[in-house]
Amino acid sequence: MAVVADAGTLYGLLAVGAGLATGLAGIGAGVGEQGIGAAVVGVVAEEPGFLGKGLFLMLLPETLIIFGLAVSLILMFAWTPFSAIVTP
Amino acid sequence: MLKPVKMSRVVVAGSKDVISPVVEKLHELRLLHIVNYNGSQPQFEMGKPIGKAKEYSEDLIKLRSVTRYLDLNKKTPDKTFSESQILSDMGNLINNVGDDVTATYERITAIDAEVKSKQDQVKALTPLAVLPLPLEAYYGYDSLATFVGTAASAVDADVARVSPVNEIYTGSAKNATFVAVFVPAEKASEVSAVLSEHGFSETSVPRLEGNVDSAIAALEGGIKSLDGEKAPLQKKLVDIKKQYEDEMLATDEYLSMQTQKTEAPLRFAETDNAFVIDGYVPADQFSRLKNELESAAGGKLEVQMIVDKEAEALAEKGEDIPSQMDNPSLVRPYELITRLFAIPEYKEFDPSLLIFIFFPIMFGMILGDIGYGVMTMLVLIMLKKKFRTPGWQQLINVVMIGSVWSIIFGFFYGEIFGPLGLWGRMMGHLPEHEIELAKEAGLYFGEGVFGALGRMGPLGIFPMDRLATNAVLLLIGTSIFIGVIHCSVGSIFGIKTELNYGSKKHAYFERLPVMLFQVFFAIALLGLVMGQSILTYLGIIVVVASVVMLVMGPEGPMSLAHTPSYVSNLISYLRLLAIGLASVGLAYAANQLAFYVIMPMLSGGATDSAEFSMLGIIAGIVILVAVHFINFLLGILSPFMHPLRLHYVEMFTKFYSAHGGGVEYSPFGHVRRFLKA
Repeated sequence: MAVVADAGTLYGLLAVGAGLATGLAGIGAGVGEQGIGAAVVGVVAEEPGFLGKGLFLMLLPETLIIFGLAVSLILMFAWTPFSAIVTP
Repeated sequence: MLKPVKMSRVVVAGSKDVISPVVEKLHELRLLHIVNYNGSQPQFEMGKPIGKAKEYSEDLIKLRSVTRYLDLNKKTPDKTFSESQILSDMGNLINNVGDDVTATYERITAIDAEVKSKQDQVKALTPLAVLPLPLEAYYGYDSLATFVGTAASAVDADVARVSPVNEIYTGSAKNATFVAVFVPAEKASEVSAVLSEHGFSETSVPRLEGNVDSAIAALEGGIKSLDGEKAPLQKKLVDIKKQYEDEMLATDEYLSMQTQKTEAPLRFAETDNAFVIDGYVPADQFSRLKNELESAAGGKLEVQMIVDKEAEALAEKGEDIPSQMDNPSLVRPYELITRLFAIPEYKEFDPSLLIFIFFPIMFGMILGDIGYGVMTMLVLIMLKKKFRTPGWQQLINVVMIGSVWSIIFGFFYGEIFGPLGLWGRMMGHLPEHEIELAKEAGLYFGEGVFGALGRMGPLGIFPMDRLATNAVLLLIGTSIFIGVIHCSVGSIFGIKTELNYGSKKHAYFERLPVMLFQVFFAIALLGLVMGQSILTYLGIIVVVASVVMLVMGPEGPMSLAHTPSYVSNLISYLRLLAIGLASVGLAYAANQLAFYVIMPMLSGGATDSAEFSMLGIIAGIVILVAVHFINFLLGILSPFMHPLRLHYVEMFTKFYSAHGGGVEYSPFGHVRRFLKA
């Protein structure tokens, strides 16, 4: 039995997917930063000169969420190829 | 500008007779970055302090303890003092005023301790008020054991069981029964065991006399009079602080300078009759240093510059050449961001100028709102007066230049406190049918206009509503474009840095391919988007070529592992769009909530702003202020942090601090703040 989806449903699913992409990436980045943040605060308390390098390390996982966002943007705005499949 | 100041390696050698005037002169000049003598050569030994080093440091320690009692902190000077004035007042300041402060402070500490003990006594006495005994009845017995405290349940019967001879007083306190049990001393341990079964916990009774209430009253009177004594003492300290603050800090400065001078020879190499100082001086200041020192020493001294080759050999042996960043005053605040990461090494580039160019544009591109920009500016002008330390001033200047850019971008985006809000009211909108036409044609970039000028730019894209689909796509492209430029500049500096260090292989097979990879990857993407397959093929060919170059490079096939990160570097620049969208979204939500939900709802469904009720308008304004305030706070933080990351992670890794950072040029001497020159 073929699953029939109209354009509206498909677009809705795409939106959910886009949301998940950014949201889950955000959680991942947060989990990554948690440990780094704690360690950096520890180091900076001992040696304030490490603030810059600490920030650098802390901001590394931030890219993850941007990847998620990039996927979301592709899902939302590269909509045309999908619409071509759906429309009869 | 892009390089640290050129330094010359110098050696100062002179007769020991003139060591004092030479040190004095060096301190005054503040030019020579001294390289500490490490005692490695047998014919030289380390120098010894000259003059009254011990006296100065003793005075300094005493003064520091006094300033600590007075809670003096570093501050900007209100007035300055001449050295002779400090010298003549120092005895009085350290001995008379200092002793006075110490005595007063110690008395305050003693009062605090006494008040504390009296308060503890009052606390112990308060529950005793429920028992009918005078205080002297609780102590002073030879043959009686006394138990005073709280118990969970009545103890009379059980105590009587183990000790028929007893005297028990019971009173009910707030949450428990308060008991005083008197039994013969020989029964003490048994009674104690019985009492503990009743959850007894003992209170220590202060050794006072008379009625409990009057004892408490006496103690409280005592506390009051002690507090009365303390207040004028504290006021005295405040007065002393007010009167002597600047002078004390000036004296501190004077003594620090003196100890610095007297202890300077510890960093020199010495023989019986001569001393040698190694150090660095900015190249253009060498002749000044030479002339000044030689005239101060009256011919008993020789200052020599070491030729570059020898200096290089020293540097290779591990001697750090100090670097001093050299930037025009507009760029100087951005040295803060550089310094936060690392001091540039002597042969490296100083990235402050690059940060000055890119950072504010990125900040502006993210924040991009006239309203927030002006608000940031106003807040910063206020802070600038308040926080006067150099670090804060630099930070404030950094953000201030960013906020100018955010006002400029605000015009491009057509945003004053969010899109479609105040902008439309001040500058006007496109008519409804033109919006429809633009949407139809896929050229809708927003509905605002620049007043009578209408929409501007190619295809009329400005003012651009950042939330419109076309604008998002355009900004994605712009972000990546900025990323490519930013990374390429980084790579170019990387190539030059490697060449400065003399490693051609790293320059041409590690830095160059990265740049080619990123630029042509972007070109390939552009070709895909624009449907120009020539660009795509060209891009792919060069990308493959650059990967081959990487493999041929110093890291070999391992460098393939890095290639995904070159793509992710570029994608990372999407944050320039993303963070901005988040803040626009919040501002937009605030405006919608206030103007289209709260205000009409509280006005009985009126949609025309003229019909809004007073309540609706007030509630709407409260919402607007609250949400915009939160957005504004976030709006300063993230546009600062994210460009910072783009510099630190994406750009600096290409050329900066690969050799572990340098040493800051800190010449021997002291910046006078409280002392007149």
